[in-house]
Amino acid sequence: MKLPLSNLTGLAMLALSGVHAQAETPRQILDSYVAQAGAASATRGETLFRGQFSGGRIARACTACHTDDARAMGQHVKTGKVIDPLAPVAQKDRFTDPAKVEKWFRRNCNEVLGRECTPQEKADFTAYMITLK
Amino acid sequence: MANIRLRADRYGIDWKNLLTLAVAVGAAVLWIARAPASDEALFPMPVGKTYLNECGSCHTAYAPGHLPARSWRRMMAELSDHFGEDASLDQPAHLSILKDLETLAADNPAANQRMRRIAAGVPAGATPQRITETAYFRHLHDEVPKHFWRRKSIGNPANCAACHPRANEGRYGEREIRIPAQ
Repeated sequence: MKLPLSNLTGLAMLALSGVHAQAETPRQILDSYVAQAGAASATRGETLFRGQFSGGRIARACTACHTDDARAMGQHVKTGKVIDPLAPVAQKDRFTDPAKVEKWFRRNCNEVLGRECTPQEKADFTAYMITLK
Repeated sequence: MANIRLRADRYGIDWKNLLTLAVAVGAAVLWIARAPASDEALFPMPVGKTYLNECGSCHTAYAPGHLPARSWRRMMAELSDHFGEDASLDQPAHLSILKDLETLAADNPAANQRMRRIAAGVPAGATPQRITETAYFRHLHDEVPKHFWRRKSIGNPANCAACHPRANEGRYGEREIRIPAQ
């Protein structure tokens, strides 16, 4: 018996969605931020990633823990724990779980910038992460 | 051959008691091999992913058996200023983690011998927040030179997983220790 390819894809997607109900693609996560904020800019996202701030308590920049290259392994400045790469190209499950992405924007923006990030900043940051190849 | 048999006969050795000896030695060897080594240092860990995901994303997922329940209760009550960081959790995660910590704490009724030793080393009424400040930790790490802790991939004594690769599984066995050179 031959199954049309589209059926197989549908089955595969069904199987995948069963594994993790929240799973999305980084592109979908970006789209949801763009829907709130308007067009995203990967350049502005990179500026945010490399920016030096003084509002937070733990670190002055994202790069303090995530290193200058978001595709590389990072290390928590305080605890020393190794951190998986932030860019989806290097770590497949990054930017695939909306709740997790929100949680870490909330925590890390507070710890580095001393405030929550705006939807625009989240959109830009996500766009930058996705462009890394 | 005749000589050996003669001598064996003289001592009353036959195949039957040799076999008994072999079985006894074999059983003893099996029993010793299967028993956990004294240095195994196994700590029970919370079931499921919540503890690992919430606590283990910023630091080693410390085995709850390293501190008494009263320490964990205080820590969970002060999560908004968790060693200078806001680590507050949503309520379902908070409740589930607190329950895990209390169930598997060093002074829980089902604690293993090592955990009971840890609990016994904490002064009554004290609620230590750093595992590294417990008598147990200090005793077991007293031979580690200060400059080891400052190596880049270690950073500080709270980074268990740097030298105990399976710390997140509650395994701190001495034979597994790998101290990074840098």
